Amino acid sequence: MAKEINDIILKDGIQYAEDHEWAQQTGETFKIGITDYAQDQLGDIVFVELPEVDTEFSKGDEFGTVESTKAVSELYMPMGGRIVAVNERLADEPELVNNSPYDDGWMIEIATDDTGDFDALMGKDAYLDMLKGL
Amino acid sequence: MGSDSKKTLLHAWHTANGANMADFGGYEMPLWYSSAKNEHLSVLTHAGAFDTSHMASLLVSGKDAYGLLQQCFTNDMAACIGREKKALFPGRCVYGAFLNEAGEVIDDAIIFQIAEGRYMVVINAGMGGAIAAHLEAHKSGGDSEITDLTDRLGKMDVQGPLAAKVLEKILASPDTVFDRMPYFSFKGHFDASAPEADVVRLTDGTPMLLSRTGYTGEFGFELFVAPEHFVKLWEMVMAAGEALGLTACGLAARDSLRAGAVLPLSHQDIGPWPFLNTPWNFALPYDDAGTGFTKSFIGDSALANVAAPEYTYPFAGFDLRKVTLPAAVLDADGKEIGTVLTCATDMAIGRHQDRIYSIASPDRPEDGKIKGLCCGFVKVRTPLDAGSILQLKDARRKIKVRIETDIRPDRTARKPLKEMR
Repeated sequence: MAKEINDIILKDGIQYAEDHEWAQQTGETFKIGITDYAQDQLGDIVFVELPEVDTEFSKGDEFGTVESTKAVSELYMPMGGRIVAVNERLADEPELVNNSPYDDGWMIEIATDDTGDFDALMGKDAYLDMLKGL
Repeated sequence: MGSDSKKTLLHAWHTANGANMADFGGYEMPLWYSSAKNEHLSVLTHAGAFDTSHMASLLVSGKDAYGLLQQCFTNDMAACIGREKKALFPGRCVYGAFLNEAGEVIDDAIIFQIAEGRYMVVINAGMGGAIAAHLEAHKSGGDSEITDLTDRLGKMDVQGPLAAKVLEKILASPDTVFDRMPYFSFKGHFDASAPEADVVRLTDGTPMLLSRTGYTGEFGFELFVAPEHFVKLWEMVMAAGEALGLTACGLAARDSLRAGAVLPLSHQDIGPWPFLNTPWNFALPYDDAGTGFTKSFIGDSALANVAAPEYTYPFAGFDLRKVTLPAAVLDADGKEIGTVLTCATDMAIGRHQDRIYSIASPDRPEDGKIKGLCCGFVKVRTPLDAGSILQLKDARRKIKVRIETDIRPDRTARKPLKEMR
């Protein structure tokens, strides 16, 4: 692979899922995207398919796909909730997911009353340990 | 990645340069370095360097070498050069395939005629043993010697409009070498003891076989040297190309470039089914009427008697979304009519109104942003016209595609060399 595990960028203050999505609490809502490890494994991202606003999902549901020059991969909800926004910039600039996976490359924003899924996700150190075990 | 994957001589270079490695044909090969997209585009705008030393080569020589190859190879070596269909001659090479008796593809190949009675056969990774055995089995006492050069030859490709500018910096006599060197011709030899070894030498004297061929559809060369010179050759090319925008390219870019150029991947687009009704019919020895063959060869009678023929066509989508194999082909009524052989993304093309344009098209529309199109090949049970609209369906989605006669326009592979220096 291109990046060594120690070169993978991991951000504090966000939660990580086993399928390499992340979730970040932003006030009342949560932003969701994919990790630096995921974008590095996928290679150049050329297309991102995202859901309609107001769609409801449970944890583990497929909410879209991310397409690289190599493959098409499913995106899974790290937590349940209702879509309140999607990152419209990705339609024209899918490469933002490669260049800025935790910031400009965010994918969806959800609202939920139940933060149990969020609390159950991994912190940075646990996710790093999981990557080292892969 | 299988732990028993073989490594090419450039393995350390690939990993030191950040390559994302994967198994291909039994070799651990670079898929891409930093960006498959940029690597693909660089071959249209500048030049790309590819490690292709996983490919296998054979030498076939002797009084009966020609007869043996004619019997086993699909293209007619007596009538394959140019519009006038001249016979293959020293310094020219020809594309075709080796079939079994059932008319199915064992592998595709380029046969290089080095001299009278001396040929080099370049085939796919891991196929050296199988094709050598196939040829041995059909020698039937004739005078021909088959030498498998698997892992005994270094091969790299330099492809793209600036390829000649890169190579002229490392060739001892570029003007002589590049004089009269059309598409599908070659010069020199990688074996220092061969009589042709003096024709092409690097600036340090290393003999090389240099061929105007490739697998991208773009202008460029394939370079063959003895293995002890291979890493040095790669580094010379990379150094010579640095100021010209040369980019090391992995197999992902190679795959997307070849798909857009309507070139088949052996064992994927051609394989264990009859080699008939494909975009590569030029590799069969059809007569002028297109009904019979100009020579007999292994598999010919099977091809003439295929009970339920299938048809292979190039397609391009309407955006760059792909399907993942296995995927089915559906006609306009939603009926399943075949399978998808290849589905890749050519990042350098886009549709505008009724045409496909490339980033290299001189007349590309200014307002049309070229983002890439999915493209590849389908194999279907009924003949289709160009322009037919189909759907490709995988486990996840359906995408609309159009049957095309060609995919990426304005390719440079056949451009005269003198225009490219």
